[in-house]
Amino acid sequence: MVRAAATASQGRQSRAGQTARDVTPPPERVTHVMVTRDMSRRTLRFDKGDAVLSVVGVEKSYGRVAALRGVDLEVGRGEIVGLVGPNGAGKTSLVSIVAGLRRPDKGTVTVDGLDVAHHRDRVGAHLGLAPQDLAIYPTLRVRDNLVAFGELAGLRGRALRERLAETADALGLGDLLDRRAAALSGGQKRRLHTAMALIHRPPLLLLDEPTTGADVESRNQLLALVRSLADAGAAVCYSSHYLPEVEQLRASIVILDQGQVVARGPLDTLLGAHARAVVALVFDGPAPTLAIEGAVADGDRLRLPSDDPASTAARALAMLNGAAEHLVGVEIVRPTLESVYLAVTGRRYDAGGQASAAGEVSDVAVA
Amino acid sequence: MSLSRSRALIRHEMKLQLSEWPNLSTMILMPLVMIAFFKPLARLALTAQHPGANGAEYSVPAMSTMFAFFLVAFIGFSFFMEHRWNTWERLRASPATNAEIMVGKVVPAVLLCLVQQGVLFGSGFLVFGLRINGSLAGLFAVIVALAFALTAIGVLLAAVVKNEQQMNVIGNIGSMVLAGVSGALVPLSVLPGWARTVAPFTPQYWALRGFRSVILDHGGISSVALPVAVLLMLAAGAAVLALMRFRFDEPKVQVV
Repeated sequence: MVRAAATASQGRQSRAGQTARDVTPPPERVTHVMVTRDMSRRTLRFDKGDAVLSVVGVEKSYGRVAALRGVDLEVGRGEIVGLVGPNGAGKTSLVSIVAGLRRPDKGTVTVDGLDVAHHRDRVGAHLGLAPQDLAIYPTLRVRDNLVAFGELAGLRGRALRERLAETADALGLGDLLDRRAAALSGGQKRRLHTAMALIHRPPLLLLDEPTTGADVESRNQLLALVRSLADAGAAVCYSSHYLPEVEQLRASIVILDQGQVVARGPLDTLLGAHARAVVALVFDGPAPTLAIEGAVADGDRLRLPSDDPASTAARALAMLNGAAEHLVGVEIVRPTLESVYLAVTGRRYDAGGQASAAGEVSDVAVA
Repeated sequence: MSLSRSRALIRHEMKLQLSEWPNLSTMILMPLVMIAFFKPLARLALTAQHPGANGAEYSVPAMSTMFAFFLVAFIGFSFFMEHRWNTWERLRASPATNAEIMVGKVVPAVLLCLVQQGVLFGSGFLVFGLRINGSLAGLFAVIVALAFALTAIGVLLAAVVKNEQQMNVIGNIGSMVLAGVSGALVPLSVLPGWARTVAPFTPQYWALRGFRSVILDHGGISSVALPVAVLLMLAAGAAVLALMRFRFDEPKVQVV
């Protein structure tokens, strides 16, 4: 396993797009991360400030449909960038362009200093891609699936065997190495799919919806491994439409919407800038109106956006008077990434990856 | 191009082919059955010109050639399987270059054909009483040229067809039709005149002509020069067309 002997965490500053709401704090001084790779008995040093991935002004259209419209993005060593957005936001197009699988119409992409457009053949050694769709060889054993991509990355002999065992163990595949991939469960296949991208420990990991179809155990194993790899210095671009996952990874957030970056920054900063907590008073009948700024009566609930939920709740309770006897509950809804998405796009985000107009939603619990 | 990555891809492709061993064994077992089936008929057809012939002199090379061309579809499918499993883009995003990926597909295909022909001619010799009257080197030269030709045609087909169904129809039915008009199903001498006119335009005809030279006509290595040259030119032409047409970023779809 890779173990971080010391870590330094700070929000990396991302390059702001013209339309993005950049709320990233000023960059901190570059620090070093000491990483011990137990397997190789070597100590590696990563400059946390180095940009492994740099995307500048990337545009891509399919016919008349603009998939990406001037996307800028940077991912530094040791950083996880959660690329979030609904289906059709452009996440997979962006990942494909970074991996050299598609050419952008405009803009440049560099991976570890290599221009992908001019050095596609060399870029492959610097990244590991887990595409959105399951991509494994079902007729081969788990071991052979991993060996193939380990060997392509130059691993041989003992180093390959050790890395194979290390990666398989980390993803709970250690006892399944001699099983045909077709005989694995859905979650196990998904773990193998991701392991094939990780086995050569590339500087940049491109994980496109890696937990799609994975069970809870597989999801947790994947997330823990991704976090540990980032702690060891890998730059991770983690595309997902499942927002709680990105929050769990403590990733820097880039919200992609209709081919554009509409917000970016550390989660806490985005929450502070775009979302407020909501105090919800629940009644046994229609909610009354109160003379508090932003208060919205919504069926049996009175929603009160607030930066100080405790004070707001106390103030609202004091103002209820006769309506207090109909009060059945008080809820404080903390802001989430979904709140941010709603605030910056005007549309509600659901876990199915589809964005819907806020006006169509009656129970949005965000300010 | 990296030799070590090419070797890794060749090993990987061979594992994939061996994992499909039921299909592969069909490519060997079926022609053996057909050789046994056709041998008595072939003997009747040959005895007028070759009184000592036992029928294996025709049935072994004919079935070997016919079933070699079923590998065309097999080679094409090796590309389509990558698309069906979504591993094609994964390979393209790996450190492997496009040239290495192609080498990883082509070399095992050539080896597969050589193994198939080796097993069929070896069985012909050991089981069916096949005797090679001419040059063994000539026989090997024809087999190698045949392997190159059908591999190049397989890659060309993978480049031009859009889905597995097209590959199936063109590869398998095409092989059957060409085998018929080339004289691989029945001797050319009993085919209608139009078929004898068309036959030289098929690769199977030239492979069979080369085999006949060394098996029945006591031919030396020089006797197969023309058939080998034609097969190699065909291979080169198909390879050039395949390189011009093959698009690594072209999605191949499966019609359900």
